[in-house]
Amino acid sequence: MKKLLVVALALVMVVAIFACEKAPAPEPAPVGDGGDTIVAPVTISTIEAIKERGVLRAGVKDSVVPFGFVGEKERELVGFDVDICRYIAKKLKVKVKFTAVTSANRIQMLTDGQVDILAATMTHKIERDEVIDFSITYFMDGQKLLVPKDSEIASIDDLAGLKVGSVKGSTSEKNVKEAQPDCEVISFEGYPEAFLALKQGKVVAMTTDSVILVGLMGSDDNPEDWKIVGDFFSSEPYGLGLPNNDSEWRDFVNFTLMEMWRNGEWKKIYDKWLGEDTKYYMPLSWEIELWP
Amino acid sequence: MIKKARELKVEASILINRYRFIFYPLYFLAIALFIYFVVYKILLVNVLNIEFNYKLNYAIFFTNYIEATRQSYVDLYVLGVITTIKISIISLVVAMSLGTVLAIFRLSNVKVLDIFAKSYIEFIRNTPLLIQIFFWYFGTDPLLPKVFTTWLKAQSNVEFAYGVIALSIYTSAFIAEEIRAGIQSIPKEQMEASRAQGFSFLQAMRLVILPQAIRIVIPPLISQSLNLTKYSSLVMSIGVVELMASSRFLFGGTARIFEALSVTTIIYLSLSLAISFALNQYNKYFLSYTRY
Repeated sequence: MKKLLVVALALVMVVAIFACEKAPAPEPAPVGDGGDTIVAPVTISTIEAIKERGVLRAGVKDSVVPFGFVGEKERELVGFDVDICRYIAKKLKVKVKFTAVTSANRIQMLTDGQVDILAATMTHKIERDEVIDFSITYFMDGQKLLVPKDSEIASIDDLAGLKVGSVKGSTSEKNVKEAQPDCEVISFEGYPEAFLALKQGKVVAMTTDSVILVGLMGSDDNPEDWKIVGDFFSSEPYGLGLPNNDSEWRDFVNFTLMEMWRNGEWKKIYDKWLGEDTKYYMPLSWEIELWP
Repeated sequence: MIKKARELKVEASILINRYRFIFYPLYFLAIALFIYFVVYKILLVNVLNIEFNYKLNYAIFFTNYIEATRQSYVDLYVLGVITTIKISIISLVVAMSLGTVLAIFRLSNVKVLDIFAKSYIEFIRNTPLLIQIFFWYFGTDPLLPKVFTTWLKAQSNVEFAYGVIALSIYTSAFIAEEIRAGIQSIPKEQMEASRAQGFSFLQAMRLVILPQAIRIVIPPLISQSLNLTKYSSLVMSIGVVELMASSRFLFGGTARIFEALSVTTIIYLSLSLAISFALNQYNKYFLSYTRY
């Protein structure tokens, strides 16, 4: 141990001397035209970085029908979120590259700078807003229950003492415990696992945002075997996740979303994925926030 | 007087030597402080001008996870640690017994048992634990009689039981090989000699072979139990709320991934150190190497 301490002390001294020598002679401040992108990556606006790169890197879900999933015919990522990102990329006149994210890793991916924007069915929460920023609400949803067709469960009150499946890293498991503290929540890694547990009867109901439930039900072999019950017991305003403190990029995304609503592009995408002729029909009952 | 002082000094040094493990946390603290001040503060911040752009906020642990029941994140972590310890201990006991039986099968003269044990060990050892967990949880359902599965689904804590099954079966394969190796490392002449002395096979095993074999097997068994403790984090994929799941809930709810994972790492580290310390003490005091 003595030896170790001596070595550590020696190291401290060497580094301290090194630091002292370096400190009095600060390097001259870079004057604009240098290639100083490595020194201060924070000050570079995301929008400039995207334009320079020529690619918008978007994080989307890869197994949430109909928001972000691998299409059977297309063999690539498709969905509502994917189309929103495509429009933003088109507006920027850049290409778009999709990265699959999960509920658990998406915020880390954004703060690490691996993606520029998150369109991953993410609820805008004040707690999350501490580390990243959000766009205006681009989709409004709430939480409901998915149960087998012949189930006696009609609302969240009937769940007391029973097992309900949910997904980790999302707000769903928290909301259901808030609404019904007496139920046992089993949290899985992804929606397919939770749905499989429901199919095997390991849980009596599964809960998450109703649009995801609609998607899961629609992608099943026999959608008529399932039903969605109860009232919304949480409100889930979806926001696009954006890097913290970059108001230029946030403004651009917000303005683009409003423009999409005004010129009907948003409704077109909505109808494509959740309209009346799709198997995931959900009546449109809210309006985007429009700034005059 | 002088002699007494010297005696005291010797006694003190013996005591210090015996209880030197008390100082282990201090060493860790010293290393952590060294890394923080020298590597981070001086080298990264002052010399290389790199600073982490992230404000730590550990107060987040005292906020409520579920408002309705006033359950804080600390309570959640306590619950997680208890579950981790419980699942590790139960699985370890089951895995030890199973592993010993398998090792005896491997060494037995009955060809069928040997082949069975060998294929079991090779199959379990060479497939990922996560797949095995999913197999036991989702895959066994259609294979079991319906009466049994309906009864099973009505129980609470079924996930925990499935976790124990998966973990102990996985670990038993490794333990079996280690015990077999330990027994085989004792020269077979010792067995022959004991038999020639008139010991029965079981007596020879119990009095001559096993006491020596156990001393050889203990160190690898310690690493197996450490592995088991860490692998127990995988059972969160079937909804067991253990330590890793608690940290998932924390960063799912608050997006504070740094705080969640650092605290979780420290808890796992202390758990593992405590286990290896306890088993090392056992090894030292009860199975002292000097006795043979």
